[in-house]
Amino acid sequence: MIAIEDWRIYEHPILKFDRGKEVTIYLDGKPLKAYKNETVAAALYANGIREFSKSIKYRRPRGFFCAIGRCSACMMEVDGVPNVRTCVTLVRDGMRIKRQRTIADWAAPFLGMMKLPPLRYMKLFTRPGFIYEPAMKIMRKFTGLGSYPEKVPEVAPSGGYQGELSTEFLIVGGGPAGMSAAVEAGQQGVDTLIIDDKEKLGGQLLKQTHMFFSDVKYAAGKRGFKLGEELVEKISKLDNVKVMTQTSAVGYYPSENTMLLKGPNDTTLKVKAKKYLISTGAYERSLVFENNDLPGVYGAGGVQTLLNVYGVKPGNRGILLGTGNVALIVSYHLLQAGIEVAGVFAPSFRRVRGYFVHAAKIKRHGVPIVTRHTIVKALGKNRVEGAIVTKLADYGKPIPGTERRVDCDFICVGVGLNPAYDLVQLFNPKMVYVGALGGMVPIRDRTYRFAENAYIAGDCASIEEATTAVLEGKLVGLYASQALGHGDETVPEKIEEYTRALEEDRGSPFSTRLREALRDITVEKIEEALK
Amino acid sequence: MKPVQRGYYTREELEELGVFPPREELEKKRLCVIECVEEIPCNPCAAVCRSGAIIKEGLCKPPVVDWKACIGCTMCVAACPGMAIFMQWIEDGDGYVTMPYELLPEPKIGDRVQLLNRKGEAVGEGMIVNPTYQARGDAYPRWVVTVKMDDPDLSYEVRAFKILE
Repeated sequence: MIAIEDWRIYEHPILKFDRGKEVTIYLDGKPLKAYKNETVAAALYANGIREFSKSIKYRRPRGFFCAIGRCSACMMEVDGVPNVRTCVTLVRDGMRIKRQRTIADWAAPFLGMMKLPPLRYMKLFTRPGFIYEPAMKIMRKFTGLGSYPEKVPEVAPSGGYQGELSTEFLIVGGGPAGMSAAVEAGQQGVDTLIIDDKEKLGGQLLKQTHMFFSDVKYAAGKRGFKLGEELVEKISKLDNVKVMTQTSAVGYYPSENTMLLKGPNDTTLKVKAKKYLISTGAYERSLVFENNDLPGVYGAGGVQTLLNVYGVKPGNRGILLGTGNVALIVSYHLLQAGIEVAGVFAPSFRRVRGYFVHAAKIKRHGVPIVTRHTIVKALGKNRVEGAIVTKLADYGKPIPGTERRVDCDFICVGVGLNPAYDLVQLFNPKMVYVGALGGMVPIRDRTYRFAENAYIAGDCASIEEATTAVLEGKLVGLYASQALGHGDETVPEKIEEYTRALEEDRGSPFSTRLREALRDITVEKIEEALK
Repeated sequence: MKPVQRGYYTREELEELGVFPPREELEKKRLCVIECVEEIPCNPCAAVCRSGAIIKEGLCKPPVVDWKACIGCTMCVAACPGMAIFMQWIEDGDGYVTMPYELLPEPKIGDRVQLLNRKGEAVGEGMIVNPTYQARGDAYPRWVVTVKMDDPDLSYEVRAFKILE
């Protein structure tokens, strides 16, 4: 008999989940209960399914890590289409989902022992040309990447776009920075298009149930998701701002000044814009430890998505790694959903890295905060059943003999973010690695321009708070309107106001390194810096 | 270990920082206690304070309280994004603490609660006397709950509670 599991949260102190009507989906032929507004991954998770795919080489079980369409560990066959990122695909009644099995699955335990050379299906059998296709058919069966069915399944067209389009201002990424820029530019009368790869705008704001810091004039005192809803509403009121969701930017061609977008149902769209804003946010960092690919090891964003967007519990008892603000906030979100937090383990040495008040509010509910500790191993076979943590000596070396077991059924990694610079690079900017800003970032000028026609804002410019992303977005929106010849006489005033607010926001001792780093990578004229 | 490593301050450390109002003032009226010691960019507390008792010299400066001006309206308790503001007073030998609350179950008058200190340790039992849901439009939506305890000294320690079934 199959035990009926339901991991959904029905009572939450802050949120009300709008799940929509009940539908049925089938996993490998087995019917499961789902709701219309859930993604496939969330629905499967709510039904207690932790294993989504297997790793290509050793066929190790994989669950998702990020839940926002970045990590590709959640790829499954959906309605006959292989390699669908289930965490960004909404369910439909009668949807058929299959795990991508291979003929080598039975051999999985041996593959690890034998240390086979990796199946580099990209490079093998490329010459002579005629053996490539038949060889690929066989190779794909080994890798578990799935294969397209003989007949392409008919998909009902739903709001895809096809063809070419030109606009004045194209914003890639509908998070706090992108949306704020769209609002400002839209109010100045700029013809704007904003795209996002999720089913709705909002980015990470939609997952934040805590009240924001910063100045009351901008965002403080409101819960993050409310702020997101507000921005979405402001955008919807502007006629000259067009929104495309479930659309990703997949390429930029500088010689033609064209960006290639991929919309729902494999539709493609070429967009020529006069100015671009890249506000693609960030990727989550992972941490190296044994078994860090077990289903049950998540990024902090993955846990937030499950918890606060879909209302699904990631587990009953978890541990957090890292003590930045993100890790501390996620522990609080877990407490609010009634999930036990077995500890916040931080490899940091001198202090809790986040704000003290965030640490204090979880500490007073009895969550242990353990600094100078890191995880060495996740326990469990097909899902996380525990973790081994160890104390660190100076310079980050584990102290032998201090290992101890912590019981938990999920591990949340919140050790920071890296700017998502993939799209930025296509504009041929000057990239530099800046640790204080989170990773690779482009040199930019005072108006946030990193190429002649492109701006940057938000976490992909520098890893910071949502409130600074909002201010940066507003500034870029105004600078772009000015550059496009649209701004009215209030623009310089507003620019001055937001710049001052941004400086104040970054005025705390927490941001000292960040301030210095930003000063170092900001140049007077971007054209000269790029020469 | 420093407080920032542990995630909490002890009562003695906070007393040294001058966080608590004088005891005789606490016996007269309800006063706010702000346990916000770091320089972080934030100002809702000063923005909602209608009596001008909370002063922030800059966005990043820690708040300073003028207890003479504080009227005990609890608006700052609802507004503090860091949940670092509390109200405290002593009446008829009982201690009272007003705390922000964002968990389940919903608080009701007369609920027995387990009192938790800054470290999360259970230090006794108390009773909810005044739960109010405060909000100004979309801003500061939060329960602000006053809990009564027998030992007035405990009011310097209790910073959270768990509603008992």
